[in-house]
Order: sequence, then C-alpha cells, then structure tokens
Amino acid sequence: MNRELTIHRAGYLLAGALFVAACGSDDSTGSALAAEAPDGDAGVVTVYTGRHYGIEPVFDDFTAATGIEVRFTTGNDPELRERLVAEGANSPADVVMTGDAANIELAAAAGLLASLDSEVLTSTIPEELRSADGYWFTLSERARVIIASSERVDDPPTTYAGVGDPTWDRKICLRPSTHPYTQSLVASLVIAEGEERATDIVQSWVDNDPLYINSDTDIYKAVADGDCDVAIANTYYLGRLLTEDPSFPVEIVWPEQEGRGAHVNVSTAAVTANAPNPGNAQALLEWLATDGQAQFSNVNFEYPADPNVAPDPIVAGWGEFDADLTAVRQLGANQPTAIDILSAAGYE
Amino acid sequence: MTTISPRGMRRAARRVGPASTSTIVSAVVVAAAIPVLVVVWSIVQPSTEVWRQLWETRLPGMLRDTATLLITVLAGTLVLGTGLAWLVTAYRFPGQRLLGWLLVTPLAIPGYVLGFVWLDGLQGPLGARNVRSIWLCALVLIFTLYPYVYLFARAAFLEQSQHVVDVARNLGRSRTQAFWRVVLPMARPSLAGGAALVGMEVLTDVGTVRLFNVSTVADGVLRVWFGTGDRNAAAELSVLLIGVAVVLIAVERLARGRARYTQRGGRQRLSAEQIRGPRLVAVPLLGWAVVVIAVAMPVTRLVIWAGQARRTNQTVTVAGDLGFHVVSSLRVAGLATITCLVLGSLLAAGLQRGRRRDRAAARLATLGYAVPGPVVALGVLITLAALDRTGWLPDAWLLVGSLLGLIYALAVRFLAVAYQGIEASLGKVSPSVVGSARTLGAGPLRVGARVQLPLAAAGVIAASVLVAIDTLKELPITLLLRPFGTDTLPIWVWQATSESLWVQAAVPSLAIVTVGMVLVAALLWTLEHGAEVNS
Repeated sequence: MNRELTIHRAGYLLAGALFVAACGSDDSTGSALAAEAPDGDAGVVTVYTGRHYGIEPVFDDFTAATGIEVRFTTGNDPELRERLVAEGANSPADVVMTGDAANIELAAAAGLLASLDSEVLTSTIPEELRSADGYWFTLSERARVIIASSERVDDPPTTYAGVGDPTWDRKICLRPSTHPYTQSLVASLVIAEGEERATDIVQSWVDNDPLYINSDTDIYKAVADGDCDVAIANTYYLGRLLTEDPSFPVEIVWPEQEGRGAHVNVSTAAVTANAPNPGNAQALLEWLATDGQAQFSNVNFEYPADPNVAPDPIVAGWGEFDADLTAVRQLGANQPTAIDILSAAGYE
Repeated sequence: MTTISPRGMRRAARRVGPASTSTIVSAVVVAAAIPVLVVVWSIVQPSTEVWRQLWETRLPGMLRDTATLLITVLAGTLVLGTGLAWLVTAYRFPGQRLLGWLLVTPLAIPGYVLGFVWLDGLQGPLGARNVRSIWLCALVLIFTLYPYVYLFARAAFLEQSQHVVDVARNLGRSRTQAFWRVVLPMARPSLAGGAALVGMEVLTDVGTVRLFNVSTVADGVLRVWFGTGDRNAAAELSVLLIGVAVVLIAVERLARGRARYTQRGGRQRLSAEQIRGPRLVAVPLLGWAVVVIAVAMPVTRLVIWAGQARRTNQTVTVAGDLGFHVVSSLRVAGLATITCLVLGSLLAAGLQRGRRRDRAAARLATLGYAVPGPVVALGVLITLAALDRTGWLPDAWLLVGSLLGLIYALAVRFLAVAYQGIEASLGKVSPSVVGSARTLGAGPLRVGARVQLPLAAAGVIAASVLVAIDTLKELPITLLLRPFGTDTLPIWVWQATSESLWVQAAVPSLAIVTVGMVLVAALLWTLEHGAEVNS
C-alpha cells in the first residue's frame, strides 16, 4: 500500500542514517552501532574513571609494560556508579576509579565491586587506605588543607574549626556542598569530633559568610587576588599553580597537627563484580600500586599511597605532615550525615 | 502562495486508510516517553523523609532562584529579542542586513562557555564575590538565549503586512504607536513560542547555573541524586520541574490565545524606514553593542586563550586531536538531528492538533525537553539496560554505551524542538490546501508527507538546524551514555573546565562556536530563502 510506502520511507531514512553511523565508526575502536561486550580475557581492560586528568600517560605505560590495552571512559563518579548499577551483569567495565572515598564505598555497598585477594596490593597499600574486605584500594592521597595568603595573613587558623572564627568574617573561601570534597571533609569532622560539634563547626563557617567557589584552582586565585584571606583546598592544585608561577603568594597551613592530622581524601581503584576481564583488571591495579605508583601520583602532585614511593619534588618541598588516615575508610558511611549537616546549616 | 504540483495532487489522491498510521505514531510516542516516565514512576514510592528535609532546608531557596532566574531571563530575552528584531526590520541603515544575521550568532555559543569567559573576565573588575550572582547568570542566559525570541519575532514581523501599519498610521498613530498597538499584539503568538523555548532552556540548564552558584531546581535534582544517591528523591524533584514546564506551556497557550495565523498571498511586506541624523548612529549602535558583548568579546578571549594553548601544546587530548573531536561531534549531532527530524515529522503528520487525544500524545512525546539532560540520561540508561537484560538482542550487543543508545537519548531530549518547529510550520499551511487533499481521499500521514511537509520545508529545515545546534552543544547526556572513543567537543570542554583549565577549554569551545556559526548561517539562509518561496 502507498500509505505503507510513506511510512517505510521514513523508516528507511532512519535505518540508513544509523547504518551510516555504524559503518562510519568502523575506524574508531569500539564505537560500533551497538557496543560489543568483550569476551574473556582478550588483552584488554575497560576502565570507568571519575578521575580524568593525567591518567592517560599512565595507561599508555601500562600497555607498554604488559601488552594489555586500556579502554576507558571518563565521567562524574555518581553517574558512572548509576551506569554500573543499570548495566548489571552486562557491564563492560572491569575497573572503576573514583576521585574520592565516599563514592567508592557507595559502589561497594551497592554490590558493584569484587573483593580482591592480592598479596601485591595488601603489601604495598597501608591497611587504613584500602577497604577491609578488599573491595577497593587507594592509589594516591589528596590532602585537603587550610590555605592562606602569604602576603596578608600572619596568624592563619590551624584547625578546621578555626576557619569559623569570627576573625575571618567575610574573609574565607569554601567549595560548595555539591562537591564530594566538601562532603568528605565534613564527614571527617563527624568522625573525629562527633555530629554535634561538626554541626557547630559548619555553622560557624556559614556564619562567616564564605565566598563559595566551585573550583579549587579559583579558590587559590581568589586568595592570591585578595577576594579572601583564608580558604580550604586540596594541595595538588597549588602544585599546578606553582609550576606556572613559582612565587604564587599562597601558603599551605597543615591543619590539626596537634591532633588527628590533616583531612585526606583518596583516589581509588576497584575491580567490578561483573568484570569480563578480572585478571587484566587485577593486573592494572597491581601495576598502578607498584611500577606505576610514582607516575600516577606525581603527575597530579598527589601523595603516593605507598609510603615508600617519593612524592614529586614540589610536593616534598611543602614538608612532612600528619594525615588523618584512620577516617578514610569511614568517610563513605558518614557522608549522608555530612550532607544533612551542610543542608541544615544553609551551606551553599 | 505556493501551488501543489499536479503530480503531488495525484499522489495525494491515492486512497489510504488511517489504521497503521496510528500504530507507527504510537510507537514513536511510547519510545520517546518511556525514559521520562520511568523516572516519573518513582514518585509512586515517595521518599517523604527526603522531601520533608528538602522543604525545611534547600527547596524554598531553589524555588526562589528558579523563579527569579526564569522571570528575569524571560523578561530580558523578550525585550532584547523583540527590540532587536524590530530594529532590523523597521529601520533601514548601512550594515542592516549583516547586523540582522550577526544578531542570531549567540545561538552558537553555549551558555557554559559564555559563562566561564565572563566569569574569568569580570572576576577582576567586579571581585570574585560579586561576579558569582544570580543576576550575572541571568545576563549570560539572556545573551545566549535571546536569539530564540529574536528569530520568532523577526519572522513574525516579516510576515506582517504593511497595510496593517498603514491603517494604523492613517488613523493618526505614529510609527512607534503602530508598533505597540498593532505589530506587537499581532506577533504575540510567535513571541510566546520563542519565550517558551527560552523558558525550557532556563529550567533545564545545569551547566551555567553552577558556574554562578545559582541553586535552581534542576541543579537540586543533581545535588540530591549525586549527593545522597537517592534516585527517587531526585526523580521527584524532576517531576516538580516537569510541573513548572507544564505551567509554562499552559501560559504560552494562553498568550497565544485562539489566534491562528496562516500565510496569505499578495501582501506587501512591512516597509523599513530610512533613518537619518543622530538616530542613524544610535539605532545601529544598540544592535552592534549586543553583537560585541555576546559574540565578539568572548570569541576574542577564546582566540587569545587558544593561542596560549597552541604555544603550550595543549591542543590535543588523549582521545585525539581537534579533527577527531570535530568528527565525533558532527557524527553525533548529525545522526541525532536526522532521527529527530524523521520522528518529529511522523508525529507532526500523524497527530492532529484538533484532537484531544492527539494533543496529549504530542505532549507525552515531547516531555524530554522539560527535563534536565542528566535526568533524561538516567531514564534512558534504565530503559536500555532493561532491554539489554532481556536477551532479545544478538549476542554480545549492548544498547547501553552504544551509538544507537546515545542517539536515542538525544532524540528523547530534543524531539520537542523538531516537532514544535515542524508542527508550527505545518499549521501555517492554509487549511484549505489540506482540506482539498483530504477531500481527494488522502490519509492524514500521506497529506503530511506529500502536501504539508514540502510546503513547510523552510520551517522543517529551520527546526532541524535548531536541533543540530542543541545537540552540538549537549553535554550531560553524551557524558553518561557515549560509546568508548566518542569524545565530542563539549566533553573536551567539560574535562578542561571541571578543573578550571580555561586555556585548555578554549580550542574545543571555539570549535563548537565555529561549527555552530555555520549552522546558524544555514538557518538564516533557509529562513530568508524559505520566506521568499512561501510568500
């Protein structure tokens, strides 16, 4: 029938377009019309990573060393987790990497990760920096510290609570509560000081009318430019800024050195529960914890998880400090409380 | 007025029945609506605890910010878009034609790009605290979204007859009074259409608002979903957002009223007034100022940054060089556009605006446009993953993470843009033409494909260009659902801007703007060319 013809023509147009799409993508690996699930250990490992800077040269070196090809996709930690949940047994992912501890804990709690029994990993990564059940492993640490203008501030706060001191009214910069860095920091306060005290501290920050900036780099620049005097930020961004301008006028103050130590968050990696290539996945984790450890950490000026590996010279130049390692494994469990506290306090 | 070729008439005359038309159209509606409905479905298990807490903490602020932003941007785009359209239609001055074109180009600049350029540039003079404000965010959105109103307003002004203005002037009204009393009220339906598009873009924006610390409901959806992992609570907030969008559409319908405008032949276009004296400088200056602020300055900034990126070798990513990313973007945007065009045409031809059931179906199929990208992505993810688990597909084929899945998701999000555009231009085809074809025995779909679509070609092409521009700029859906190796230009921008590496973001941003400009030129050519053909 002719009516059918019209409809079919529309259908052909669509099918044709998609056929072109399928053919057109033959040259680029893996982007076929429907993604092919890799079968068995085929010299490939597929990574979902929420950490998306400086990661590529590391993967290249891994391929050079082992012959295993790395396919990876970047994204936000929670979205990648949703993708794993939705894909279930069909997921092509072998390895998942996150930029914070809470998101990997949530993945473990959702049953998305496999427990690894690896002599290599347990001997190189300190116990506080890996999940008790072998679900995930820290590859590098990121210290979240107090920073202050080295030109205008003589007596910076030395505790996170000190940032809420009225001295710093309208003089502090903080990252919004949408970011996991803020959530994990508050979770660490809950762990160390209890929910009530953590609530008071967050409220004192909010009372200081902070300038919220959703970028640690911009927080450093705001301190340098005089938009605020004191802030809380991760150290590695300073590493990047110092390579551009060695006299960047912001200094690090190691917090809580009289007590538990500075809050550290972690870059983690884990093997997925449904990994099509579990052997290659474990090989990647073990390589990143050993041969690739220095490069993985230092490319982004983070602290290597293996205490025997030296950090980048710029990072080493900031000196030694005590880190609050005991909190790392509890950050995920305390994140919901942290978010409630932040919301109730009116933290942006 | 266009005539139908005898061949077309003959084809239209062939007898066709309505049965399987509705089957196909229903299938399109269902496929487009399911991912959104999957998300909406979660409201049947309301997480009251999260709701209560939201009401007590952030929700009032979210609603306030959303309302403030929506009203400000709507007012701003209506004033700017209508004013500029009148300026280039009613006055004649040197460079008028060029200005008329350039005023559409902000459409090629994504809000998140203009946002980070302004944020960085104004941080010095205004201070880091003042620069992060809802008003500056509104200004960024006004300057990137006003072209929607401008395009609709200009088209409406061009379609109006000079006779109407002449009558007003004969009755003793000035040209300005004629504008306010006659021209503007007659353009009202078009302005409402443009404003509705702006409203949807504002409601679902998740990139620009976060740059400026503005907590809208759409941002809240992500905040709740990513922060607490509570998908249900996030979905419930999305439903609230859909509610606001439905109200917005209702207001648009009201503004449009019962007005119905059809193309008429033999009329005389609005004649432009030759201006002299100080106004010869002042009038064009207003238009050029907008071009400088919205396009020239940000593009210059991007070019300077791109130069720095070149000198420091930051012009490639791991995925590939600029060419690779451009090809990825073109492939995704091209396929998504074709898909939206085909599906939108099927809907427009198969659904009748007069029938209540059809109107409901159209609204269902276009729900995706009222929902933020990440929520559509989640809905599609859940839908496709469920299909993957059925085992109906050939072995080792997965829809999640496939190009097909990505294109499907983009179609769910942007089908509305194609459908509305096609439907609107079909609506302008005189009912008498459609009536004759139907009298000759052709079914609705056949009349659509053989009579209405060709007559409305300009509108159809314009709608597809709008979809192409939207998909070219799209980030959240592509981020979550893209296949391995399909890194589009916005993905590159995201990778750089999420680390505040503006210099690195400049090259892909410029590439988006350049491709967008080509599309805008195509759009304008079509509109001008189409207007000539149809009048």
